[in-house]
Amino acid sequence: MSRGCQHAVEYVYHYLDEEITWSRKVRIRWHLKRCDPCDGAFDFEHRLKTMIRDKGRDEPPPELFDRLRALLQEDDTDPNA
Amino acid sequence: MADQATFEADAMQYAPQLYSAALRMTRNPADAEDVVQETFLKAYRAYSTFEAGTNLKAWLYRILTNTYINKYRKQQRRPSEVELGELQDLYLYKRLGEQSGATQSAEQDVLDEFVDSDVKQALESLPEHFRMPVLLADVEGFSYKEIAEILDIPIGTVMSRLHRGRKALQKKLWNVAEERGLTGQAS
Repeated sequence: MSRGCQHAVEYVYHYLDEEITWSRKVRIRWHLKRCDPCDGAFDFEHRLKTMIRDKGRDEPPPELFDRLRALLQEDDTDPNA
Repeated sequence: MADQATFEADAMQYAPQLYSAALRMTRNPADAEDVVQETFLKAYRAYSTFEAGTNLKAWLYRILTNTYINKYRKQQRRPSEVELGELQDLYLYKRLGEQSGATQSAEQDVLDEFVDSDVKQALESLPEHFRMPVLLADVEGFSYKEIAEILDIPIGTVMSRLHRGRKALQKKLWNVAEERGLTGQAS
């Protein structure tokens, strides 16, 4: 593993989260263009992150909105609130 | 200062996301709705303290998180750090790559095989101090700074928990892949 690979792996999440300094980002981009294994790993991590976002969610029951509205209205009329 | 009269119009758009996050926290639809209702009530009553123009979504998540923690944390068992062990970087990718004959595209294909319930169960299986940052970053899309504010922990702690939490999540997904025979190896 080269130093470029080590640097890339160390900052893979910072890079994908877009929480990285400009100079590190440029260095990683440069490295990924020249290193197929790291490029493959970054692509995998990116797809994994997208998958977790897309498959980690639930829709609320449709009645939730009405129940929340009722709750707030009730709170307005509650003298102890 | 925010006007209480506009609370419903301002906040209701976040209800679905708050519910989904609450469900990952409580792992139970009835409890999730309780947490969201309590969050809305607290936020409504405190809305005059919310500084209009600042981050309403993060403010609501902070109330949600505190509500959940106050209500449910006592019931949770916190696994020791030792129990989780130290995992290698790029855990899932490396494990999938170890399988004989696995090409790069085979590793990618495994991702398509995971279904929603695999991902939800993997998220819900994480210990709370990892689950919250991973949930807020990967599912809810908050920045490190926002997560630090929501969870009231330093940003360095957010980064280290996120890093280790993601590896732990990858290990869970690897276990799922193995159980379901997605790894190209007979189990």
